Amino acid sequence: MAVVGVHKPWFGASVKEWIFTTDHKKIGVMYGVTSLIFFLIAGISALGIRLELFQPGLQYVDEDHYNQLLTLHGVLMQFWWAVGIWGSFGNFLLPLMIGARDVAFPRLNALSYWLFFAASVMALLTLLPGSQIRMMWTGYPPFSLNDNAGPVAFYALVIHLLGAASLASAINLVVTNLSMRAPGISLKKMNLFLHSFLAMNVIQILGVPALAGAVTMLLLDKYFHTAFFDPARGGDPVLYQNLFWFYSHPVVYVMILPAFGLISEMIATFSRREIFGRTSMIFAIWGIAILGFMVWIHHMFTSGVPDWIRILFSYTTVLIGVPTGIKIFNWIGTLYKGSIRFTTPMLYTLSAIFMFLIGGLTGIPLGLPAFDIGIHDSHFVVAHFHYVLGMALTLAVFGGFHYWFPKLTGKMYSEFWGKVGLVLIMIGSNIFYFLQFIVGLEGMPRRYADYPAIESWIVLHQWQTFGAFILAIGVGIGILNLILSAKFGKKAPDNPWESPSLEWLIPSPPPPHNFDKIPHMPADWDPYNYEWLKKHKGNY
Amino acid sequence: MRRAMLGLLGAFSLSFAEPLAEPAQLWDKMYYIWLAISVVIYLVVFIPGAYFLVKYRYKKGSNEEAQHVHENPMLEVLWTIIPVIIVIYLATQSFAFYKTQRTAPEGAFEIKVTGFMWGWSFEYPNGKQVYAFFNMFEDPETKSYLPFDKIPDMAKAYIPAGVPIKVLLTSQDVIHSFYVQPAKVTEDAVPGRITHMWFKINQPGEYWAFCREYCGTKHSKMAAVLKVVPKEEFEKWYGEAIDNKQVSLNK
Repeated sequence: MAVVGVHKPWFGASVKEWIFTTDHKKIGVMYGVTSLIFFLIAGISALGIRLELFQPGLQYVDEDHYNQLLTLHGVLMQFWWAVGIWGSFGNFLLPLMIGARDVAFPRLNALSYWLFFAASVMALLTLLPGSQIRMMWTGYPPFSLNDNAGPVAFYALVIHLLGAASLASAINLVVTNLSMRAPGISLKKMNLFLHSFLAMNVIQILGVPALAGAVTMLLLDKYFHTAFFDPARGGDPVLYQNLFWFYSHPVVYVMILPAFGLISEMIATFSRREIFGRTSMIFAIWGIAILGFMVWIHHMFTSGVPDWIRILFSYTTVLIGVPTGIKIFNWIGTLYKGSIRFTTPMLYTLSAIFMFLIGGLTGIPLGLPAFDIGIHDSHFVVAHFHYVLGMALTLAVFGGFHYWFPKLTGKMYSEFWGKVGLVLIMIGSNIFYFLQFIVGLEGMPRRYADYPAIESWIVLHQWQTFGAFILAIGVGIGILNLILSAKFGKKAPDNPWESPSLEWLIPSPPPPHNFDKIPHMPADWDPYNYEWLKKHKGNY
Repeated sequence: MRRAMLGLLGAFSLSFAEPLAEPAQLWDKMYYIWLAISVVIYLVVFIPGAYFLVKYRYKKGSNEEAQHVHENPMLEVLWTIIPVIIVIYLATQSFAFYKTQRTAPEGAFEIKVTGFMWGWSFEYPNGKQVYAFFNMFEDPETKSYLPFDKIPDMAKAYIPAGVPIKVLLTSQDVIHSFYVQPAKVTEDAVPGRITHMWFKINQPGEYWAFCREYCGTKHSKMAAVLKVVPKEEFEKWYGEAIDNKQVSLNK
């Protein structure tokens, strides 16, 4: 598609234009930069945690600072990286993939970002002396009402700002997705990333109010002396856990579903064929989204809820493994009779799949009370969700960074350094998280600043710390490669991956208005029909 | 490293002799069932995946284009039904084990355990109490954990070997969680509620119990030592007059 009347790329804008922009691409980039900065802060705090656990005893930080680092790491990784990064991919890709010039409500979109930004500033304020929060990202009362936990108000307001941003953004993007698709892009033909992104936003709309309610009750209890969670005055602390996990379990699907979407996009493109079992993939996404709301009690298997409820929820929990398995099987099926190209994003994608398989399989026993009773709140749990979020999600996101890098910048990244970064990330994180499983099986409780000098624990912790530093070097190389390539990289063609997906049919970087005229997609077009592109080369 | 790996295997010894502690043997069984199934599933996915990656890699001249395979409804049904059967089996097996893991045997010895910031109190049926304060477990100078032999005896909870113990748990302040390492059981201590768990340790020795719900500054020192002694020795300790020094420590 030729473009008329464009004199500068969309990123060649002044600071004022950036601040007042309602352009979905600029907003997407701002989300991305914010998420990445917070990812690095959270990563550095993780290195601090690993250093402290290198040997028993307290060497580098005292317990209070350790707990602060851990809270910071958890909150930032969850809300800024694992959730926030989808603000970036979603905003950037959604209008391009459906042939729209912007989202449905561009100004609401800008408001969402600036609310997110306000939450970011508030989160950084907790680094100031005297306002440290030390209650972990879960913030369970009655502990969070104790002065030892730090100022709860910060936490509650951060959640409210993030929640408002998420809700506004979710409604905006659902409306955009459902009502602004260009002619010829049916729901069935829509990119799989958009299906998972749609499911993600629906989960946000249904779930966020529960968390917002929970932290509001916390705020009232702490500062206005209500007694929602105070057992001495008739409250119940377990109520908080129910409200909290009613959102915070589905939120793991908010994090991982779009990652599944990215994996589907990349594996199809680099196998040069349509996703295997596309219909069942779409059903699997919605199956996960719906089942995700019926499993939250597995976080509370030891919290004193009646035994029969634990059993009931163990069945619903393990059933989530079924749609998740379907997705993995179909990805493997997509490789069958493909023509597979091992580019950096493809290698990231394959790593994400095989690491997610470990993360998924180790999630199943956590849903079995007979197993959970022995490793609840141990490092096994931590290792499980680091395989899912720290590896599968992060690898998919980094794969996505590389995949859409030419689209975003019009430049090509360095394949060599991209692969070096990935190899280091894979070596480091597998040493790190796999040994974390073992120390967890041996009983090491999570959120411990110190541990007894049990010989095997010391060895396991030391290797984990080595792994963490290798991982950090890999992440550093990966990000540095992208930054340097954006400046010095070779010019990339408009469609380096030869994908018929709509975002690749326009110039790179995309013109400010995306499409000169709203595209009418022909009946034989499909985002994964690679032959169609060959036939129509030159016309698009 | 080698030791750690051996530890991994050793921790879940396969012997069918009397287990070190109960109901840990059920946890071990659940672990092995899950592990075996998981390894098989991993291989079932990984081997074809790796094979496809090699066989269908892009080759100039011979494999430049993908062939068309859209979907296979039979396969989709198959890999929906088989996982359903596997997970239902796992959940049902867990249900069966869990019933035993949660039901204390008849005539179990009852101990009340109360968590507080930061320590545990153990109250025996005759009123005898043991307090495990966090600072009894740490070196006053380096603040690191003391080894078992340096921890004062009065901070250790005596447990008779081979006798099932039913623990009634609660908390004075915030939520804690009582984890008995050898028995592989965990249950939260929740203020305003009484929760329960049971365990039986067959082999005399000293064992850790840890707090597993984050509870503030000294969470990682909120431990207890279970001193498991033969029944006669326990009777002797249990019968001793309540130590005044210990009681005054409480106040």
